[in-house]
Formats: sequence, C-alpha cells, structure tokens
Amino acid sequence: MLPGRILWYDAFTKEWNMLEIKNLTKSYGDLLALDHFSLTLEKGEVLGLLGPNGAGKTTLISILAGTVRDFTGSVRFLGHDLFSDRNLKNRLGIVPQDMAFYEELNAMDNLLFWGGLYDVPRDALKKRAAEILERVELSGRMKEPVKNFSGGMKRRLNTAIGLLHRPDLLLLDEPTVGIDVQAKVSILDLIRKVGAEGTGVIFTTHQLAEVENTCSRIAIMDCGRILAQGTMEELIRLVGEKDIVEITGNFPAASFTEALQDLDGNGIELLSAADNLATLAVADTEQIPKTMDRLFRRKLAVTDLKIKTPSLETVFLKLTGRSLRD
Amino acid sequence: MRRLLLILKNDILRHLKAPVAILLYLIIPIAMTGLIGMIFTPSSKDNTLPPIQVVLVDKDKGLASRLFLGAFDADQMKKMFQVTVADEAEGRRRMEKGKASAMVVIPARFTLDVLEIKPVVLEVVKNPAEQFLPDVVEEFMNTMAVMLSGAIQAFEPEARGIRLMLDGPIDAFPWESLGPEFGKAQKKVVAAEKYLNPLLIRLQEEKTKAVGAKAFMTRSDIFSAVLPGMAVMFLLFIVQTVMRDIISEREDGKLRRMLTTPLRPGELIGARIAGGWLMGFAILLVMAVFGTLVFKAYWGSPGYFLLLAAVTAFWTASFFALMNAFLKNRNQAGAISAPVILAFSVFGGSMLSTEAMPKAFQAIGLATPNRWFIDGAALVREGRFPAAALLVLAASGLILLFLAVPLLRRRSTV
Repeated sequence: MLPGRILWYDAFTKEWNMLEIKNLTKSYGDLLALDHFSLTLEKGEVLGLLGPNGAGKTTLISILAGTVRDFTGSVRFLGHDLFSDRNLKNRLGIVPQDMAFYEELNAMDNLLFWGGLYDVPRDALKKRAAEILERVELSGRMKEPVKNFSGGMKRRLNTAIGLLHRPDLLLLDEPTVGIDVQAKVSILDLIRKVGAEGTGVIFTTHQLAEVENTCSRIAIMDCGRILAQGTMEELIRLVGEKDIVEITGNFPAASFTEALQDLDGNGIELLSAADNLATLAVADTEQIPKTMDRLFRRKLAVTDLKIKTPSLETVFLKLTGRSLRD
Repeated sequence: MRRLLLILKNDILRHLKAPVAILLYLIIPIAMTGLIGMIFTPSSKDNTLPPIQVVLVDKDKGLASRLFLGAFDADQMKKMFQVTVADEAEGRRRMEKGKASAMVVIPARFTLDVLEIKPVVLEVVKNPAEQFLPDVVEEFMNTMAVMLSGAIQAFEPEARGIRLMLDGPIDAFPWESLGPEFGKAQKKVVAAEKYLNPLLIRLQEEKTKAVGAKAFMTRSDIFSAVLPGMAVMFLLFIVQTVMRDIISEREDGKLRRMLTTPLRPGELIGARIAGGWLMGFAILLVMAVFGTLVFKAYWGSPGYFLLLAAVTAFWTASFFALMNAFLKNRNQAGAISAPVILAFSVFGGSMLSTEAMPKAFQAIGLATPNRWFIDGAALVREGRFPAAALLVLAASGLILLFLAVPLLRRRSTV
C-alpha cells in the first residue's frame, strides 16, 4: 500500500515542486500569525526562513508538521495535499525547537523509539540508527543516558531523530538555539550535506550568519508574510549598493522624520524611525555629515552612528525596519 | 496497534530506567501496612489468646456446683478458661488487679434448690476493665444454665428422689438406692437424646462465637484488612505518576513531535490509558503477592481478586486521563492530584475504617475507588463475588474514559 503510493508519487515529483504552499493563513484570535503565506521548495533545496520573533516561522513549521489546525490555504507535498494522507508523514522529518526526546533513555533507545513511530522496517531501523549516530558524532555515547549529554549533543540527537527515517523534506525550527559554536557548525554542516543528498530543507533561524553560509535560498518573513526571497546575491541587490546608517540618540521619532523629510532626492532613504533609533539607506557616505548637521540644528542629540555595508543584515533592516535582535 | 504497543514498551522501559518514584510508592504502603499490623495485633506467636481467667466462688459445695467445676475442667474448656476457686473477696481482689476477667458465684443451697426445681440465680461478676473477655464467660455460663435447666426439667422425678436421699448425712447416703434411679434416668436419656443433642450443638455454637471474638483479629487478618486500603491509595499515586506523562509530554514538546509522525492521536491516547491501566494492575498484583508472602495476607479467590484489581486499575487510569485532560501543566497536576488522592483515601476508607466514619462521610466514600476496592476485596476474602464493586467501577470507569478521550484529542492539537 504505502510503498506503491510512494513510488507513484516519485514518478511525478520531478514535474512538481516538492512543496507548494499557497495562501496559508492562520490566526490566533485577533493575532494574524500567517497572512496569505505562499512558498515553493524544490528537491535538494535548503531554504533559510529568517524573521524576528513573532514573524510566523514556528506557526508555519507547526502547520506543515500537522500539529496546528484551523488554517486556510493549501499545502501540496510531492503533488498531494499534505494533510490528506497520513502516510505522507513518513516522508516528512521534523526537528522541533524543543529537545523532544526522553532524557532517561540512551541515544540508541531514543532513536529506536522515534524511528519506530515511522514505517521504517524493523530490521533496517537499528542499522539506520547506528548510521545516523555516526553521522552526528554520537556513536561513542549511544548507550549513555541522554540526560548526561551536553546541550550541543542533545541538539545533534534532536536533529538525528528527524533524519532517521530518511525524509524527503526536513523542517528544522531554530535547530541551533542555545548551543556552542562547535555544535552549531556540526549541525549546519549536516544540514548542507542532507540538502546535497536531495532532501529539501526548510530551517528557521534568527542567525543571519547561519543562513548566509548554509542555505541555497533565503526567505525573509515578518508579520506572517514573506517580504523577500532569493539567493544571497539576489537579496543584496534588493537594497542596491546603499550603505545602512543606524543612528542612536535622544530624539522623538516624529522630530527625526520631520528633520529629514526633504532629503529623499539626495540619495538618503529613511528606512525606519523609532524614538531614539533610526535607520537610513545612504547611496553616498558624503551625505552623512549633511544629515547630521540637520539633526544638530534641530537640537536632536545623537549618541552613536553605525555605517553598515550591504549584507543580509542590511537587507533585513531595510525590509523589516528592525534588526533581528528586536 | 504496532505504534500503540511501541509506546507502551517505551513507557515501561522508561519507568524501569527511572524507578525511584514507583519504588517509593510501592515500599511506603507495604511499610505502613507492616507498621499497622505490628502495632494492632497481639504479640503472641501463635496468634491465640491465653485462657480467660475465671474465679469460681462455690458457696454451695454440692453436686450441681461440682458439675460446673467439672465443665470448666473438660479438655476443650481448659484451653479457654483457667478457673481458680476462691472466696468472693479474693475474687474481687483478683479482678481489681487484672488477674481475672470474671467471677462466677454459685450461691448457697444451689444444688438443693435445683433439685427441688426452684428458680436459682447464678451470679457472674464481670471485670469492668476488660472489654469482651467477661462477656465470653457470661455467655458460657448462660449456656451452662440453659443446659442444666433443661436437664433438671427432663429429670424432675429423679431429681426429687435424689433430693430426698440428700436429707440425711453424706456418710449415711444410701448409694445402693441410686441404681433404680439411674435405671429410670437412662431410659429418659435415650428418649431425650435428640433434644439434648441440639443443646450440645448450641454450646458449640456459643463457643465458636467466642472463638471469633477471642481472636479479635490475628495479625494476618489485620494485614488482609489494611493492605487493600493502602494498596488502592498508592495505586492512585502510581497511576497518576504514569498518567502525568500526558501533561509533561505536552509541555516539553514530545507530544507535538509524536503527532508529526504517522501516529494517530487515538493510538497515543490509547497507549497512555493502557499504560496507566497496566502499570496499576501490575502494582496491585505486586502488592498482593508481597502481602501474601510477607504478611500472610489472605485475598480469597485469586480469580475474583484479579478481576477486581483489573477493574480498579482501569477506573484509576480513566480518571487520571480525564483529570490530566483538564490540567495545564505539571505544577497544576502536582498541586491538584495529591489532595484529590488524599481525599479519596480519607473518605474511601484507606486511612480510617468506614464504619468509624459519620454517615455523611460514608456516603461520600461511595464516590471513591478506594471504598469500592476495599469493600470488594473484603467480599472476595469472604469467598463472595464482588459484583457491586465491579459493576460500579467498570461502569464509572467507562464513563470517565468516554469523557477523557475527546478532551485529550482536542488538547493534542492547537
């Protein structure tokens, strides 16, 4: 039953996007978590989903994972409605933000349990568990209770559980939160390799550097929508060659906006203005002293000024008007 | 089904790897039962009471009073009574010092009045410091009085003949004339046998009643009565420990992860409830086996007991499934479940005998699994089928289950 269907899906997969999300909308009461969200993903593509807290990243992953309901829109996976056939879950791997495994058990027992919930043949399960432990560099500690593991080791095990059944699509929700650099590098390296082997990957993160180095495509989302997506180069082109100037001081947002309102023609673009913090896109750095002069004349105190060359961070700042830390 | 069994196996493995809580909940009731048994049972090794001390004041010193003394001297009576013949003052002194449970006073002229078929009064003075041993003596004397009255009324002419013979001095007693009197009596004895036998049997019945009272409760009886209450109380704690996984897995994200697999919510809920039920059933069996081996507790029919244990564990698993469907987090579960279990245990008779409770408390107790399990176990010990307990626990357990499943389904997704 299941293998036949999967072969049938496979025969047509090349004709379709592996994943096709259309107009996905989800609200929690008055809060719109996803707002007509659309996205496609190809086989082997590693998509980094970048957005501040509350952007809707986790809601998206939860809907795809099947743990959040009552939404509108469609999700097609391998050419079929993702939620129409429970067996499709065998082809989907989830790595949640939580360390969702049993700490009192050892790594091998955890893998055998979680792998057993998928339709992995029993005789293959143990072999695959040993392989994946080797891959995440935990084979030497496979018989040790997980509660003795470091944070990084636990994250690696969390990722291994999502990969054990060899999914076609892997969803990772902030897989590198709270771990050391070495463990982070190891997990990102694994994600790259998995993508190179043909598995589609979507992973959410706050960390710009992670997506810069790991993803073949980046989507920036906020307020439940994708603001921009493309390769790193495509996104940087979006902000042009302008530098981003971040001004900190003691000023009301309205006064700041008023002071710079007629500067647009001089290659200065006001990206955002909040009380005491404003962001500008500046085509020519020679315009910066003129800008400062205007602020001083209006007695707006400036305490700090940062100039950033075009990068994913400047793209993010331009698109969302705030940094990822906000 | 395969996934349900996998979750069950995994749960058992997990609890075996971290068994401290369950071991504690197993050890505590057994230790408490042991303590209660030690405190409330007599210390003699054979679990029987020593003979009851009776003072016999014989103011008559005639044939009838000798009959009483002879009765106390019979082998079976010797095990039950130790008789000291003394005067009344000495008898009272012995009772005041706690050396006698009762004093039987045979009045002067007792034999003569009996033979003349006159009403006579035997006096039994009970030691007020003792609760029921004096009652045993009183019952015994009542029995003797009934027997003697019956015998005298049946042998009235012979009694009068003997009375006339007693008018002379004892050394002038015409022993040879007793022959014809006994000859007549023999015929009556044969004729009256069928009437006398019930009297003897009645004596035996009185004795049986006294033996039941005598034993109060042996240590084994105390364990048998206390252990079911303790077992069901800690069954509640253990099953809640297992069922709390419903909440902890929801809190720490394991539930969400499980639902991203092909596992159906129904399979997961089924596994959780089956796990609680199996664990509860196993715990009751362990306690029963341990109680039998260590405390010599008696459970009655193994089949009936297994059925009662299975149904009680089912009720408990269904109840905590429903409760955990309402609770939001582990802290709430900890704060609410302990008082609920303690309330069940107090009103249900795990801590106090229900007979010692006010009627209102007894009525509340009927809403607890403790009460039904304890009452059911008592019936099983008596060799009876605990139909009411099984029916109530199974029916209410099913209702709880039907309420719990849809709620748990709703809580498993957002």
